[in-house]
Amino acid sequence: MGEKIIRFIKHPLVLIGIGFITIVILGGAAYGFKITQTPPPQPIQFPHNLHVGLGVQCLYCHPGPLTQASAGLPTQSKCWACHGQLKKYADGTVPLPPELVKLKDYVDTGTSIQWVPVAIVPDYVHFNHRPHIAGGLNCENCHGEVGKMVVAINPQILNMGWCLDCHRQRAGVDQEKLIKLLDCGTCHY
Amino acid sequence: MSDKISRRDFLKLAGAGTAVTAILTGCGPESRYVVREPYTKMPEYTYNGQSTFYATTCRECAAGCGLVVRTMQGRALKVEGNKLHPVNKGKTCSRGQATLQGLYNPDRMQNPVRQNGRGSGSFSEVTWEEAVAEVSSALKENKPGEIAFLMGLAPDHLFDLASQLTSALGAETPLRYGALSMFEARSTLSEAAKSMFGQACLPYFDIGHSDLVFSFGANFAETWLSPVAYSQGFSQMRQGKPGCRGFLVQFEPRMSQTAMTADKWIPVAPGTEGQVALALGRLVADIKGIALPAALSAVDVDEVAEVSGLERGELAKLAELFAGAESPLAIPGGSPLGQSNGFDSAQAILALNVLAGNLGKEGGISITPSTGVNEDFYHHPASMKEIAALVDRMSAGEIKVLFVHGVNPVFELPAELGFSKALDNVPQVISFSSTPNETAMRADSIFPDHTGLESYGYQRIWTGADRAVISGGQPVVAPYYDTRATADVLLAAVKLAGGKAAQTLPYLDEVEFIQAQLMGLVSTEGGLYGAGDINTFWALWQQFGGWWKAEPGLIAPQVPGLSRAIKIAEAEFEGSGDFHLLAYPSPILGDGSGANYPWLQETPDPSTTVMWNSWVEVNPKTAAELGLSNDDVVLITSPAGALEASVYIYPAIRPDVIAIPFGQGHSALGRYAQDRGINPAELFALIFNSTGDLAFAATKVRIEKTGRQRPLARLESRVGVYGDGEG
Repeated sequence: MGEKIIRFIKHPLVLIGIGFITIVILGGAAYGFKITQTPPPQPIQFPHNLHVGLGVQCLYCHPGPLTQASAGLPTQSKCWACHGQLKKYADGTVPLPPELVKLKDYVDTGTSIQWVPVAIVPDYVHFNHRPHIAGGLNCENCHGEVGKMVVAINPQILNMGWCLDCHRQRAGVDQEKLIKLLDCGTCHY
Repeated sequence: MSDKISRRDFLKLAGAGTAVTAILTGCGPESRYVVREPYTKMPEYTYNGQSTFYATTCRECAAGCGLVVRTMQGRALKVEGNKLHPVNKGKTCSRGQATLQGLYNPDRMQNPVRQNGRGSGSFSEVTWEEAVAEVSSALKENKPGEIAFLMGLAPDHLFDLASQLTSALGAETPLRYGALSMFEARSTLSEAAKSMFGQACLPYFDIGHSDLVFSFGANFAETWLSPVAYSQGFSQMRQGKPGCRGFLVQFEPRMSQTAMTADKWIPVAPGTEGQVALALGRLVADIKGIALPAALSAVDVDEVAEVSGLERGELAKLAELFAGAESPLAIPGGSPLGQSNGFDSAQAILALNVLAGNLGKEGGISITPSTGVNEDFYHHPASMKEIAALVDRMSAGEIKVLFVHGVNPVFELPAELGFSKALDNVPQVISFSSTPNETAMRADSIFPDHTGLESYGYQRIWTGADRAVISGGQPVVAPYYDTRATADVLLAAVKLAGGKAAQTLPYLDEVEFIQAQLMGLVSTEGGLYGAGDINTFWALWQQFGGWWKAEPGLIAPQVPGLSRAIKIAEAEFEGSGDFHLLAYPSPILGDGSGANYPWLQETPDPSTTVMWNSWVEVNPKTAAELGLSNDDVVLITSPAGALEASVYIYPAIRPDVIAIPFGQGHSALGRYAQDRGINPAELFALIFNSTGDLAFAATKVRIEKTGRQRPLARLESRVGVYGDGEG
């Protein structure tokens, strides 16, 4: 029966067919890979540099890191709490810039802003901000100089090697700490 | 290509192709194509991507199980049991799990409406101000005697509010009713407890610490009283003590899901359960060498053996088992109590416990103490006679306005009672139902309450917990639609109407009312938590999902002498047919209010695996005599009516009994429930037992073959089951 299959496969039409199917599947896979690995565009080109420059703390818009796993993304009510009060726009002396027009639309229609998370890890990694802050890290240690960026970009790929490098460094020579920080169950549970 | 490729080779190639595709496409890295959808106005205590958990109380039945609901961004996602709750200890039943589908049901009532002609199904929207004004004028302009409230078994806080309202008005106390209270004959059980122990209550049966349970039709693993609590008790009885596996004997004409888990199923003739209990008592007294108490003196064991269909030897064996057990327990369930001699049977079964000396002991019968919150009210469900009296007053035109909440009497009451027809003589019917059920469709106005997961409330625990418990409810999500808590509507209406009722109920809203009722608990000793003031208490109440004693504590019932002879009248039946009709609440759909949850409809019945429909269970012997096979449609005729259903041949039922599950057969209640199956309550003849409860198992029916077939959707294979479909 094995011979029969080989004979069948060697038939030129079948070979062409298999070749064609392989190309289609590979093409599909490449396309699928591309679309799942490309994040969608941010709904608002949020100028981090401007806001940080004005003295807004990271924790004002992302209030979670001190207390819990997720840092949180701001809602329109938080944005509008300030922007709704800006006098130069309110009295019409300065026209609303296009990105703020988008924000106003969200507020007027009561829809939520579908932010695209930038720094994400896969579901099987249970990342928690809180111990990292408690361990003395600052936001920019991992997220880079967001205060100099417009839309936030990851300064590095958040993969396991990168996590473990830092865990190793910070554990230093303390064996107990090293075991704790390198244990699989620390992040994958 | 000279050789044809065989089917086998083709499958191999296809399999290889699929595997390659899967490897190439499926096993890539995690997707980066992710968006977050935050709130538009996020509460301070929630974060994106983080769940918030709320403790509340299940409203699917009156057992009062504690729930912890996981919510994310304002949406309830998953229901689990509250691990700290003394009733369900972290577990739920399928109905508790499915309560989410009440919240998200597409057929929910979404705003207050008036119906343009009863039963028309066409509604005009009204504002809540108009709704409150309507309720207010109904309360003000009718005489107290012309106002009636009909309420369900849950929630208790609303019953308390309505009770305070009716007593301030001078109207009659609200009646409480539910199909489950009928099938469990709660009123009969409560009366029997009163006659034996001097206190009307639903006793607590400590199955967990017993080593032998004689259950007379108590389907505690399905719907009976507090099914999650008693199922856990059962599991503890079986596995709780190393080396000692408890033994369960189930006496009932049809093998229920509970009987399936039992060690022994004894199909006694319907209506003879009480006699069997007495005979067992007599034999036990003989074995133990106790002087025969007067209560058992009237029984003739040989006669009992004859009428019940049990062998005398078998009775003797069972008696030996009972006499030899360390802590035996006898439980009076629904079907023996739902006979014309049900009250006597209940006493006979309770007397077995007195004989065993287990009252107030571990593994025996005790009484769950009250927490003291409004304990003076008449809480226990109404008997069918009390409902019949209301129906008579309605028919006579004495009731001018009827308020209905938490119950669906048009569906749940026996059709023969004439509730539906009596409604025509009530000029104004106001329903507070959150679903478009049969009763709501016959109402003039529907002012929908929130669903359970959107509501505040509390539920007193009648039975199922080993201590005093009051279970607390709070909204786990903000109400999705323009519904309003019925308590708020009543309070606003009373305020608008003014007068004495407004002075008795000066509360701003539902929460203030509930807090006022709970005030006594703030200073009660021995609670799970202590609090100095009501606000702190309220915070803890919401965190834990209620209040209960920190330590177990039950009341021992008065131990009565058995000096009064228990005489069991012969059971009376109505109907000329050959078959006893046994209707039982579906283990999945319960009292039928779950029929609009597709999760429950899709869950196969544990004994027949049938889904989405009703069926009639017929013994194979009977089926052979009548020439019936599976899926044959039969006409079932009782003195009260006739229904058609498909046959399910069920070997675990007495040949002289047919059984139909209760819960389907809705003519309203939304797309998933409507026009599906039959409602056996339409067949019940009106026979009452001596406490006034309906003898729902005392109807006899005829069955006739119609010659048609209608296949049932069932999970089990049709081939090879009881030889069906072979050859």
